[in-house]
Amino acid sequence: MLNLKKSLLAAAGGLLLTAASFAQASEFLVSTEWLEKNIDRDDLRVIEVSVNPGVFERGHIPGSVNFRWHTDLVDTVRRDIIAREDFQTLLQDAGISDGTEIVLYGDTNNWFAAWGAWIFDIYGVNNVRLLDGGRSKWEAEGRPLSVRPSNYTAGNIQLGEPNTALRAFLPDVVEVAKSENPSVDLVDIRSAAEYEGRVIAPDGVNELAVRAGHIPSAVNVSWGEAVAEDGTFKSADELREIYAAAGVDGSKPVITYCRIGERSSHTWFALSKILGYEVKNYDGSWTEYGNSVGVPVTNLAGTVWGGQ
Amino acid sequence: MRIQRLSISGAIVASLFFAAWLMNGQTRDSQAIAFSLVAGGMFGYILQRARFCFFCITRDFMDQRDASGLLALVIALLVGTLGYHAVFGLFLPDASAGRLPPDAHIGPISWVLALAALVFGIGMALSRSCISAHLYRLGEGSIGSIPALIGALLGFGLGFATWNSLYLAAIQQGPVIWLPTHLGYGGSALLQVIVLGGIALLLVRAHKKPASPKPATSAIAALVQQRWSAPVAGLAIGFLAVVVYLRVAPLGVTAELGSLSRTAGDQLGLLPARLQGLDTLAGCATVVKETLLSPNGAFVIGMVSMAFAAALPAGDFKPRLPSASEAGRNLLGGVLLGWGAMTAIGCTVGTLLSGIMAAALSGWIFAVFCLIGVISTWKILQRAEA
Repeated sequence: MLNLKKSLLAAAGGLLLTAASFAQASEFLVSTEWLEKNIDRDDLRVIEVSVNPGVFERGHIPGSVNFRWHTDLVDTVRRDIIAREDFQTLLQDAGISDGTEIVLYGDTNNWFAAWGAWIFDIYGVNNVRLLDGGRSKWEAEGRPLSVRPSNYTAGNIQLGEPNTALRAFLPDVVEVAKSENPSVDLVDIRSAAEYEGRVIAPDGVNELAVRAGHIPSAVNVSWGEAVAEDGTFKSADELREIYAAAGVDGSKPVITYCRIGERSSHTWFALSKILGYEVKNYDGSWTEYGNSVGVPVTNLAGTVWGGQ
Repeated sequence: MRIQRLSISGAIVASLFFAAWLMNGQTRDSQAIAFSLVAGGMFGYILQRARFCFFCITRDFMDQRDASGLLALVIALLVGTLGYHAVFGLFLPDASAGRLPPDAHIGPISWVLALAALVFGIGMALSRSCISAHLYRLGEGSIGSIPALIGALLGFGLGFATWNSLYLAAIQQGPVIWLPTHLGYGGSALLQVIVLGGIALLLVRAHKKPASPKPATSAIAALVQQRWSAPVAGLAIGFLAVVVYLRVAPLGVTAELGSLSRTAGDQLGLLPARLQGLDTLAGCATVVKETLLSPNGAFVIGMVSMAFAAALPAGDFKPRLPSASEAGRNLLGGVLLGWGAMTAIGCTVGTLLSGIMAAALSGWIFAVFCLIGVISTWKILQRAEA
């Protein structure tokens, strides 16, 4: 009898464990396992948004479509995200219709895939989820890749006006920076060295600012804090704790920023999609703010542009 | 003796594969390095067995009307053209969209490219090899290639020093012309096949058989002792070029050398802090090294060690000290090779071979001016010697 009870308990524990290993931190994430099982569905479109060119072409998740962040998702002349008409054409060419489910993934921890998810959200595209762990987890698990391009019959998705509630502009952050008692939490997701002003930008990047430091009242939680060892997002509880420790608990609206607005989308995703907070991404980020004239700056390290 | 040499050669081949197996891990980077080591090894083996040295094959034709080497090059370009176009269809289904296929060596066209190719050609004639041939010659025990390669490193440094002015003066405005954008894949492949076929025909007509090629006694002897014939070498190089582009990046041998030079220059504070636009151009681009071993570094290591494995049983491993004047000439030639390869963003392999296969006009322009440089310098040198 005792043995039977033990076995039953063990079985129940096993079931729970299995359920836990399938569970995602959020309904806005899918697991690599889920994606492989559902990959042939006609109403599912997988889109790769990778930082590095040539990665998609040399092997992508079968059936996926390539969106190039630096030409497909932005205006290539002025600094802005892609215009509504152009984005609509891009999506229709990828065979996306109003009911299509979309899964985004990419290299380097889904940085640009999350940035893509932010743009999809701005234009009101529903049913968008991220592949948890991104491209590297898919590869590490030895799942199949294909080099064949996909060709889909044009879809009929129609996009609405952009939702500005998801996007912060310079005046929004300046207002927070100047406020004695800010009603918005600013999250700077760059490295501690950049946040403290010890360096203006990481080594090897071309896009710079002429001032070091961060926006006053911003807290520093590096984007990597949100990521587990295998590249997946940490659980909602863990994430809540990490941001709460920095004073961001969702009781106030949040604005995330980084250097060019891309990695901060990763944190935007964690805070808004996984934790359900009200979050804007400031895509101008430090390359706009740190170059702006007359705005308040906190520079802990005291680094002077051009030397002491 | 022969068995001994064959065994050593076999041991080197086995070690190369073993090293690749050890390096091949879960990550994409480690897989690219392992693959490049093996691919570089195959490239070095083929170059040595076919004596595929851009300078030697040109000289053979000029001096003896022996066109077999140049024919091997043309066959490689033909096979590569067809293979590259097949891969392009996968990478970029619509050639007319105004995009370029990822990583393909399609460079901007300007007088700087022509000048760089010309200088590279002069360097080839002076040092009697291009960079890829100096590398495989190392495997043949060619000590004279060492000053040439040191010269190339210095030449890269000079190339970095002059880059910014040349980039702003001409390279930046230079049009990047990729034939499929204008002709489609079919038209571009057809045009290249016609032009290359025409060149092959002219070469075959002008060809005079060399005096006494020894008949092969066995299959093994044909593989490891005798020089590979033009079609075998051409097919092998063309095939390898396509597979390597599909898996990692186009064939190229100078990215690692350039990176070594750039890293050294960077640490000594000799280089401009920014090399304008260089990182946005396709080709054998160089980076300041962050990791000890890059795919291109593995490629070059594989190349030199397998050239040695190929040279040994064939009796081509003959270490010889160069005379002082030869070493000096090689050093000077090497400087020109390095400057030309840096400024043209690639050498006879990266810009000529990988560029023409990719249907880049820049590859053709490099070929023409490099040839002018080689032939004119070689004639002047011969006259001076006579």
